[in-house]
Amino acid sequence: MRSRVVALAALLVACDGGLEPAPAPTSCPKSFTGICGTVTIRGAIPESTDVVYVVAYQTFPQSRGDLFTYTPLVPPTISLVDSTYFYTLAVPNGRYEWVLAVWKKQGMLTIANADSLLREAGYYKRTDADTSLYGAGIVLVNSIGTDSIDFVIDFDNMHPVSFYFPAAAAVRR
Amino acid sequence: MKRRGLLLLALLPAALHAQATGSVYGAVRDTAGHGVRSASVSITGSRLRTNTGNTGVYRLEAVPAGPITLQVQALGFQPESVVVTITANDSTRVDFTLRAVQNLAPIVVTAGKRQQSLQDVVPSVALVTDSAIARRAVNTIDEAVDRAPGVQFLNGQVNIRGSTGYVQGLGSRVLLLVDGVPANQGDRGGINWDLLPVDNVERVEVVKGAGSALYGSAALGGVVNLITRGIPDDAHLRVRLIGGGFAGPPHDVWKFRTSTGLEGGAGVTASWGRDPFRGALSLGTQHSDGYRQNDERDHWQLAAKGQYRLDPVTRLDVSGAWASDQYLVPLSWCVRGHCDDRGQAYQPFMVDTSGLGDHTRSNKAYATAVVSREPSPAVSWLARVSWLRTDFTDYQSPRNDFSIANRFGGEVRGVVHPDHGRVVTVGGEVAYSDVLRSDIFGVHTQAEYAAYGEGEHGLGAARLTTGARIDFLAVDGGGLTAVVSPRLGGVLPVGRGVWRASMGRGFRAPSLAEQFVSTFVSGIRVIPNPSLRPEEAWTAELGHARGFAGERVRIDAALFWTEARRLIEPVFIDTLAEIQFQNLSRARLVGLDLSVTAAPLTSRLSTTLAYTFLYARELATDTSPARALAFRPRHLLTLSADYALGATALGADFRYTSRFERVELYETDPRVSAKVLDLRASWTGGSLAAHLLVSNALNYIYNLVPRTLAPVRAVSVAVTWTH
Repeated sequence: MRSRVVALAALLVACDGGLEPAPAPTSCPKSFTGICGTVTIRGAIPESTDVVYVVAYQTFPQSRGDLFTYTPLVPPTISLVDSTYFYTLAVPNGRYEWVLAVWKKQGMLTIANADSLLREAGYYKRTDADTSLYGAGIVLVNSIGTDSIDFVIDFDNMHPVSFYFPAAAAVRR
Repeated sequence: MKRRGLLLLALLPAALHAQATGSVYGAVRDTAGHGVRSASVSITGSRLRTNTGNTGVYRLEAVPAGPITLQVQALGFQPESVVVTITANDSTRVDFTLRAVQNLAPIVVTAGKRQQSLQDVVPSVALVTDSAIARRAVNTIDEAVDRAPGVQFLNGQVNIRGSTGYVQGLGSRVLLLVDGVPANQGDRGGINWDLLPVDNVERVEVVKGAGSALYGSAALGGVVNLITRGIPDDAHLRVRLIGGGFAGPPHDVWKFRTSTGLEGGAGVTASWGRDPFRGALSLGTQHSDGYRQNDERDHWQLAAKGQYRLDPVTRLDVSGAWASDQYLVPLSWCVRGHCDDRGQAYQPFMVDTSGLGDHTRSNKAYATAVVSREPSPAVSWLARVSWLRTDFTDYQSPRNDFSIANRFGGEVRGVVHPDHGRVVTVGGEVAYSDVLRSDIFGVHTQAEYAAYGEGEHGLGAARLTTGARIDFLAVDGGGLTAVVSPRLGGVLPVGRGVWRASMGRGFRAPSLAEQFVSTFVSGIRVIPNPSLRPEEAWTAELGHARGFAGERVRIDAALFWTEARRLIEPVFIDTLAEIQFQNLSRARLVGLDLSVTAAPLTSRLSTTLAYTFLYARELATDTSPARALAFRPRHLLTLSADYALGATALGADFRYTSRFERVELYETDPRVSAKVLDLRASWTGGSLAAHLLVSNALNYIYNLVPRTLAPVRAVSVAVTWTH
């Protein structure tokens, strides 16, 4: 009888745990591999906004055909409720040349209409004085969360795909 | 003329004698005095036979007057016979008391498409009996099957030894049968577990491993056969009422409503049986507030079944069901910034504000007709036709999706026993699926034509089984693709145990949805892939079953190995920014399936332990390294105990599912192992029975599918009245 009670007690103890409330992070969580930081939101949010993603590219896209080589496949979204937002971007170890926010207009996305539906809304630079399109804000991830990758989302200064890849550039397939 | 008149006079007494009949009736009971249900009562040398009803009573009409040998057979009992003299135009009462047979293995019908003792079947089979279903007081069929050894459900999607994983309802690697009739959807290939009321199911047989040698497509990972209740003699009425409620979130910061979520429902089944006709009709409805936001559900149900005995050895069975569901869709839980998040990274009980109000209307119906004939003990055959229709509309932002699809099926099958040691099963099967109207799957058809054969023969103490099936598949009337699925196996009784070994091939034809889906998911276009090929797998198994302590303790263990290739998965094509289903991966699933049953362990206590160890790997390809197969637990453990005390019984189930090594979509989301304790109590008094179920009694909060909260604690009471 005692053994049964012990077995039942062991069973009940085993049943603790489970999912717990998790306050929104303000710094990179422990046991996290990826990129974290704070985005500051400026400008007027367009009424046609569908969502704003944060994505990372290991290599800056060389053409429109590379636009969708970002990681992770299902990127996190940015809440636009407050003027700042702490994001976490889970990505594998490696070197990332471009960490940016992508604004998406309402509508069904295809590669053909990417120019009208997607905008670069801000990206990570090592300094505010940096005016290069990419390369200065390289982020390294090495089995922990790389923190303080902060940048600004400016809805008044977004850039379409054609800003980086003019329409004349062929779509590589 | 005179000679003819004499002949008529000579024949007249014989004719008069042939019309002289009486009836015989009585009851069949066990040694404890309880009626034995479904016992077969027959007259030797005659085709007259009937089955006992729920209370064990029987009646045979039009029995020739004079001496007859009345014989009774029932599963689990020694057969009895008695010679009685029937008086013309009178009734004769004959009661039987049957003695239980010790060490009798259950009879199953799914593993070989014919009746077999469980210890003679080649693959592993798990049984869920009606008493187990009633004891667990579940309200749906998937809840009833979910605790079977080696079986796990992921958000309604069934896995047998990790067969399917989670593919969001598009394609199941398990074939569902209703009384042996395939019932996977015509468009998506998935399973509607709410097609039948759980109260109509007598038992469930789960055949594990590749079963395509007999069942063709979809039986890649196994087969689940729902066997509905027989229709007893005379008039019967069964009323089932259920009611209950859901616990709230265990943390205040997760609260999402001020009231308690409730559920309730009612079901009625009426039946009448007297040879040659029997019929049953079931009606039911159920409402649930759900345990999370946007989770309300309404369900309506109608099911009917009829039997007509054309002659003593020929029977026509017709059955059908219709079910309608309207439910809100809590597609995934809310993450920060997309609802009233209260400063939390995620809110498991809430949904994204933009998804509030998303709902689905789903109607489904099936109808079958089966003619079966057993002209002699050595030969039997059946022919069946079936029709399954599904019709759903997802009402969601920014656009609605809908599909109306049919699946028509037909089969002829013969079973021959050429001699005592051999059995041969042969048959042919056709299936025709179409998408009648759909904005996401287009309008398409898929035909399947198949022939199969399987033979079993004795070799000393061993019994060997060899068989194969060839399937021809055609999409939209195009060219035929042939798939051959062989199976080889054997059983060898040794002492008190039985060894079994088998190897077979399974396949699954891509569903019309996987081939032709054209829609948008999260704003990304999903494009069709008409060139998808069937996925396939080889399964090998070595098992052993043995009884101990006078058969009170039984152990069944099986080692299994599955090699799968061309598995169909959604792939994001980054150069096109589109998603497409492709034949992509190879996988290996290796493991151990173990069940130990002690019934009874003591005079009042019965216990079972079921454990599955699974090593599931996606094998390396030219473009990707080897990795864990998503949504497969390494360990799956179920412990059950039942304590009987007169009319009252208490019981508990504990299910442990180890944390998935890998999931898809949201790999970095928090996830935990699942530890779920269910408690139950029941009371039976005469025609009334009450069952109390506290599922997830510890209110353990977990998810198996990304961002989808698994059921929280629920208390439900089911009261059944049988007349």
